[in-house]
Amino acid sequence: MIQRLLPFLTLIALFVGLSIASPHFLTVVNLSSVVRQTAVINIMALGMTLVIVAGGIDLSVGSILAMAGLLGTMAMANGYSILTGIAVGLAAGAFWGFVNGFLITRLRIAPFIVTLGTMGIVRGLALIISNGLPVHDVPRGFSFLGDGELFHVPFALLLVLGAALVVHVILEHTRLGRYAFAIGSNPDAALYAGVPIVFHMTAVYTIGGLLTGLAGMIEASRLMTGQPTAGMTYELLAIAAVVIGGGSLRGGEGSVIGTLIGGFIMGLLSNGSDLLGISPYLQQAIIGAVIILAVAVDEFRKRKIG
Amino acid sequence: MLLALRRIEKRFGGVVALRDGNLAVEAGKVHLLLGENGAGKSTLMKIVAGMIQPDGGEVIWQGRPVRFRRPSEAAAAGIAMVHQESLLAPHLTVAENIFLGRAPAAAMGFVRRRRMLEMAESLIEEHRFPLQASWRVERLSPAGKQLVEICRAIQRGSSLLVFDEPTSSLSEAETREVFRIVRALRDRGVGTVYITHRMEELRAVGDQVTILRDGATVHSGDLAAISNDEIIRHMVGREVTAIYSRTPYPPGEELLRVEGLNAGVLLRDIGFHVRAGEIVGLAGLVGAGRTELCRALFGLDPIHSGEIRIRGRQARIRSPRDAVKAGLALIPEDRQKHGLATLLPVAQNLTMANLPAVSPNGILQRSAERRAFAQYAERLRIRAESPRQIAARLSGGTQQKVVIAKWLFRGARVLLFDEPTRGIDVGAKREVFELMDGLAADGAGILMVSSEIPELLQVADRLVVMRQGRISGELPRGANQEDLLRHAMVGESAP
Repeated sequence: MIQRLLPFLTLIALFVGLSIASPHFLTVVNLSSVVRQTAVINIMALGMTLVIVAGGIDLSVGSILAMAGLLGTMAMANGYSILTGIAVGLAAGAFWGFVNGFLITRLRIAPFIVTLGTMGIVRGLALIISNGLPVHDVPRGFSFLGDGELFHVPFALLLVLGAALVVHVILEHTRLGRYAFAIGSNPDAALYAGVPIVFHMTAVYTIGGLLTGLAGMIEASRLMTGQPTAGMTYELLAIAAVVIGGGSLRGGEGSVIGTLIGGFIMGLLSNGSDLLGISPYLQQAIIGAVIILAVAVDEFRKRKIG
Repeated sequence: MLLALRRIEKRFGGVVALRDGNLAVEAGKVHLLLGENGAGKSTLMKIVAGMIQPDGGEVIWQGRPVRFRRPSEAAAAGIAMVHQESLLAPHLTVAENIFLGRAPAAAMGFVRRRRMLEMAESLIEEHRFPLQASWRVERLSPAGKQLVEICRAIQRGSSLLVFDEPTSSLSEAETREVFRIVRALRDRGVGTVYITHRMEELRAVGDQVTILRDGATVHSGDLAAISNDEIIRHMVGREVTAIYSRTPYPPGEELLRVEGLNAGVLLRDIGFHVRAGEIVGLAGLVGAGRTELCRALFGLDPIHSGEIRIRGRQARIRSPRDAVKAGLALIPEDRQKHGLATLLPVAQNLTMANLPAVSPNGILQRSAERRAFAQYAERLRIRAESPRQIAARLSGGTQQKVVIAKWLFRGARVLLFDEPTRGIDVGAKREVFELMDGLAADGAGILMVSSEIPELLQVADRLVVMRQGRISGELPRGANQEDLLRHAMVGESAP
């Protein structure tokens, strides 16, 4: 039981430790900046949670994030409203998620390979569309998405919580979520039970893409540019958040609360390193070690259950 | 005497696989090892090959008592297995497989490729194998793979070859090729143990015969001195002890009709029917195509031609989902792998095939799911602590009930039971039979595959017997084991 709570206890320990170690940590300014910084990864990781529970993986989310942000900002730069621009970004994300799901289920190619391929395709297309140049011509009001506040709460945090609620409801209270667990837990048993695997796997990747599109718009809003090179290596951070939070790459396991804890652990590690003056090079190594540690602890727990 | 086995005993947990296994193989002879499914043939050969250790008895190899602790020791002594499921490295060439683990080596562990290829080629030529040393093994037919295994045995200078049902997946022409080589080896003084289920094969290749029944050797002698009927009598040779008996129900409407079905690589011209209230037993020896028939009906293997009618309506089955929609259910042989998501709670397994019933508009109603679980747990006496207990923690018999409950909850009318009693204890078997009887009473049609012939005779209303991918006969209730084995081994035309 203690081991199951370990991610949560780690988060608390990090929080307390950083509060003591740095006087700048426990301030409204710093904490709201942590929340904003982690929002992008957290929202991607929520989509990734669905995909991983269903036994899949999506390596293309970093590229999809860039594509969504780019197309959304291009729409705004071409005179469309902010809301239309955001809708374009979400639609682009959902579209590429759907393409992933379609290829995986129809061509029956391993998710790792398909999304490795689309990772390159989508990134390449984003660079072609933009000529490799960022879109700067963005309306001022757009910054609200990533940096605004509603009732003194960072708007990005509200988006994270909203997305978390949606994914939680999908996973725990809908047929889609149940089928995701079934397919991820034992694809053969799901097949033999007549589960409509193609439809539901495609839906899972599409929702994952949609959330990545949202993350892309938040990222674009924070930078106030549409960057074709945005989101490099974000796929690894999103996967790491899911895995640190107890999701299994073998499928059938994962939860929204776990993923959020995983995301915040990584956020605090990076924020704390900044505050304590630890070099960003070392930060990467620390996060890498935490991923291995988290999975090792989880494996150990499962082996004890037998 | 090349190999002598005396009073071999072997238990697996509480199950006695061998209690008095005896076998004497001479050099330059082909020795047939016969027996029903589960008589202990494969166990005996695994002991010879060093794959498992006997609990009692003696293994005498070339006059000396031995004990092979692992397969490599048996192989080093000159014993080679030709497996039913090929144990070759599929991505390597024929030559590389022949020399696997003992390739001609130069300094620093480099393989002398050309030399290996030449050696393999001369071996293949000498024995006129229809192979080429440079072919990749994955592209060979099952027969070709067996020939590669034989090549490997010859290359190692093995003096005993053990074939475990080598021809069950081969065509006639391929079988002849294997036989030709077996005879050639025999003439060079190699001893052969040959496990098979096909009567006509026996006569074509065998010199001597040993028959096992219930883990003990019941007959040993020259093949020429024994008739087919005597062989079958030795294989059966016992009164069936009744663990279960039931009275059939008057059959109702026709639920399943199969006509002229050709499917997969094995099934040819299959035709039979199942009516409401009937339990039809599907009998046959290993490799006859029983599991393949279940797989084809359930949309897991491609159907080439033929007709499947379910409740009078023609069904087009291309996937398990089609089969489930048409009203079929498969209770698979391997529950853990195909029947259950073992890490998910039992209640979730129960509703998996009929989730929309507890999720109107896509929203899960957990209370409805719990009610459904409570209802079926009571009806089938599923002993689970709670709906949330994970399926892996249940006993084999209880798991089987969960799989059955899943299909009842789906409302399936035609149930295919593939080896429903495998791996569950006697008490749980009774319960599974009672359940099947109850389903039949409620108007379900059941097709039951079992390797346990006594079980089929006791449970089924009538029997459909398969042999080499075809239906070889139908037997009414009350048929005896000898009739059944005759159909399963020899086919209808035999005396």
